[in-house]
Amino acid sequence: MTPPRITALFRPLALVVATAAVVALAGCGAQQGATTLDKKADVSLTWWTGQDAEANDILKELAAEFESDHPNVSIDVSPGASSTDQLLQKLSAGFAGNTYPDISYAFGSWASELESSNRTLDITDQVSEPDVKWDEFSAAARATVRPTGDKTIGFPAIVDNISLIYNTALFDDAGLAHPDENWTWDDFREAAAALTDASKNQYGYAYSVSGSEDTTWQFWPHLWQNGGAILSDDSAEATFNSQAGVDALTKLRDMAIDDKSVYLDQTDTKYGELFAAGSIAMITSGPWQLYDLNTAGTPYGVTILPGTDGDHQTVSGPDIWALFDHKDKNREYWSYELIKWLTSSDQDQRWNVAIGNLPLRTSELTSDAFAEQVANYPFLDVMAENGDNAKQARPTVSGYNGLSEAIGSAISHVLQGDGDPQEALDAAVVEANEALND
Amino acid sequence: MTTATSSAKRSRFRLPFSPWHLLLLPVALLFLIPFVQMFLASLAPAKELVTFPPPFIPSTLTLGEPGTLTKSATGYIGLFSDSPILRWLLNSFIVAVTAIASHMVFCSLAGYGFARLKFRGRTFGIFAIIATIMIPIQLLMIPTYILFAQVGLVNGLGAAIVPWLASAFGIFLMRQFFLSLPKELEESGMLDGATRWQVFFRIVLPLAKPALATLAIFTLLGSWNDLVWPLIAINNEDAFTLQLGLANFQGTRRTQWSLLMAGNVVATLPLIIFFLFAQKQFVATMTMTGLRG
Amino acid sequence: MATTDLTIPASRGAAPARRRPWGRSVADNVTGWLFVGPATVIVLGLSLFPAGWALLLSFQKWDGFSEAESVGIDNYAKLLTAQDFFDAVGHTGLYTLLFVPASVLLGLFLAVALNRRIRFIGFYRTAIFVPFVASAASTGILTSYLFNPQFGLVNNVLRVLGLPQQGWLEDQGQAMMVIAIMSLWGQAAFTTVIYLAALQDVPMELLEAARLDGATPWQAFWSVVWPQLSPVTVFATIWQTIGAIQLFDLVYTTTRGGPLDATKTIVYYLYEKAFKSLEFGYGSAVAYVLFGATLLITVIVVVYSRRRGIEAF
Repeated sequence: MTPPRITALFRPLALVVATAAVVALAGCGAQQGATTLDKKADVSLTWWTGQDAEANDILKELAAEFESDHPNVSIDVSPGASSTDQLLQKLSAGFAGNTYPDISYAFGSWASELESSNRTLDITDQVSEPDVKWDEFSAAARATVRPTGDKTIGFPAIVDNISLIYNTALFDDAGLAHPDENWTWDDFREAAAALTDASKNQYGYAYSVSGSEDTTWQFWPHLWQNGGAILSDDSAEATFNSQAGVDALTKLRDMAIDDKSVYLDQTDTKYGELFAAGSIAMITSGPWQLYDLNTAGTPYGVTILPGTDGDHQTVSGPDIWALFDHKDKNREYWSYELIKWLTSSDQDQRWNVAIGNLPLRTSELTSDAFAEQVANYPFLDVMAENGDNAKQARPTVSGYNGLSEAIGSAISHVLQGDGDPQEALDAAVVEANEALND
Repeated sequence: MTTATSSAKRSRFRLPFSPWHLLLLPVALLFLIPFVQMFLASLAPAKELVTFPPPFIPSTLTLGEPGTLTKSATGYIGLFSDSPILRWLLNSFIVAVTAIASHMVFCSLAGYGFARLKFRGRTFGIFAIIATIMIPIQLLMIPTYILFAQVGLVNGLGAAIVPWLASAFGIFLMRQFFLSLPKELEESGMLDGATRWQVFFRIVLPLAKPALATLAIFTLLGSWNDLVWPLIAINNEDAFTLQLGLANFQGTRRTQWSLLMAGNVVATLPLIIFFLFAQKQFVATMTMTGLRG
Repeated sequence: MATTDLTIPASRGAAPARRRPWGRSVADNVTGWLFVGPATVIVLGLSLFPAGWALLLSFQKWDGFSEAESVGIDNYAKLLTAQDFFDAVGHTGLYTLLFVPASVLLGLFLAVALNRRIRFIGFYRTAIFVPFVASAASTGILTSYLFNPQFGLVNNVLRVLGLPQQGWLEDQGQAMMVIAIMSLWGQAAFTTVIYLAALQDVPMELLEAARLDGATPWQAFWSVVWPQLSPVTVFATIWQTIGAIQLFDLVYTTTRGGPLDATKTIVYYLYEKAFKSLEFGYGSAVAYVLFGATLLITVIVVVYSRRRGIEAF
């Protein structure tokens, strides 16, 4: 027996909430746009670059240039999120709320998820045109934009790989020869032990034990060089607990626990800073490290990863420009054209190379722009050429993230002294298989 | 415990200053030192910031410089010349002012209602409100975003403002403050024939200045430092708030430490200045109420 | 001088209105809702849809991209047998027990110390406030700077003093404690400011009366001022507890849940499951279990304090 006024107050509130719910649920389909291509029609594109402020500014300039070349196209460029990690959330929310962009940067590991959203374009036909020169991209990059082999969901955006970076001063002071392209992991282990000095808090090597993708992907070269594989041929099962994997993990563990020559970083960023400070002799990292090293003035050198029986395989983690479908032929056309233009040799030199990333295309290695960058960032050319050693691609199946978590956690525990390599890897395989078959 | 005038310390050794300084000064320094470190870091040359650990006192102090093709911007000069920090400051300011005004009005009304008025649904109401903060915000981001997207708010500052119009925190805080006021004041006002509204505006609200100052401080702080929500909600670069803009200096692989430190100092100063003035409200209001205990 | 809310106001300035069976008039209800209405609509309105959506999601499986599929109570069942979930609960509980009482008492102590009119009091009060203003990211950076075992300031000081080096953030047993300390440092101002404001409304006459009756300052404080502060103490305790249970930011910016998951709190666990493993449905289930537990704890505390006559809620 409630007084009439109270229910009167409640009713509008309930109505507001119900309306919001209905509206939200109803707005689930994509809007319908132009169904026939009209290259002269006005088009407005949204581009989430996923880059930090500096890089974003360069892309904005390039977009402005594209706009002036094609006056009917207007491009709204923004980082999309403050760090690329968070871009995933925004894309999710964007899909659910129907506010996703036309083009977005994405980590390679999200590629299959993006494809499964059914909101990506398929540009397989377009990229087979000869003027695109698709084969100039590395094998790993091409495989990443075609995650399930079904659709090509975009262009490669940034490529990288892991090389060995070492502190020349520390080597010289200890009277040791610098690492070279003939090194084996045994040479590596010896040098790391020799360069470790607990009294000075100096370490020979560093490894991230945060359990994230950094922990995982640093492990893949070891697994591959030993002849192991991450997944079975049909990609349905994880196979990293093979003897190859166990040997690889045991060797790392021995360095960390017996030699005590490895700085175990609980985050993914500190070991780079410590290396810049001269507290760590060698790290395995990529081109992004060079900017800070040059800022800090650290005396460094770069070579390819140590090898196993002459195999110096490394891992590459390409990131992509994903193109999204808004059911509008004009937007589709211009999104494709923009990114094709951006990733062509000339523009890529003004973007990737200018910012200190590796060039996307092998044809850029001989360009002046790249030569200039090598002068600014010594040994960038070594890293670029190391791309040839990225023979296998990191898996792009959906469920890779779960697999990465599982083995990342296993590696982290073993390196910190908690657990036996075989058991840890076996347990991780169980978890990984769950994620793969979800 | 507290005295408005210094009480007699007749037979004690009198220091030329209050002995409380001996306690408060070290404590204050303990709390301040990290900020000092951040301030010094904002004046440090970039090369000392990319190593770990960075030195406490930089080798040289520099105001930084604008960016060139080969070198990033650094320092305060770089911050103001190369980034839209003034725009970010303006955006945050707009959000903050709206949030504070709105909170002061809505939350004090609601706090008083829940504290003193009896009406059907009161207990359920306050519990429901407190319950809203029990769900971790990380999970509510996406559906809240969907809600806002449907209403078209996500392309502007509106998305950042709407959630700050009122909060469970504000309502709960004001309620507890009003509960701690002696009822006799209001009751004597009502016996004199005043309505609830008049009692609220003329008797209770003036006594609530410390509470309102507290609410203003925390609302300012919350809306100013909010990162998680604007991150998801604001797509439009022109509408970036300060924290959102600063977060952009921390890329996935590379952090622009110098700009970040300078930006953090610039972001923190207005809050500190506001607090310095607002804390003057923390002065006893109950010394002369004429109440007989 | 705790007031009770059990009695109905004696009059509204006129002859008592017609009383409904539950003792309130329609006008009372309307007035009440007019006062609380706007704020309540905003707070509840913005939360209902997201909370409902998240509840629905907890019965589904969703990776953020493809279609969600319904899985009934599977997520909850998985939760109840997940060892790492219970570990996270343990870590969060430890942190809450370390943090909440310390935070409330520290705030009270600082507020009393800052509640005087000596010179520079404005400076002292602002100094306490400064860490509170720093973002979680800044506090995280600072924590690393202080407590890194090899290069941090604290171990350097210990070394100079000849004391043994500690593992701090890299020691499973100590990491949570370090986080609690840094949280306390960063959030001391919260309870301090609230208590400081509350202290202003304590009637001086009561204190003077108690002193005249022969009480020492210590006794006068605990018997007169402390009860006066109880509604605010309840607020601070509940708020800090809810905040402690939801600890995330500082963990994210310092240890990322390490070392060896020692600092993985419930919300960090939720974040990993939802945003790293892309299991949003499972993450929602975790969030709702957390919600249920928090609600239960709060209700118990409130009911207990009402039964005990502590009319502060």
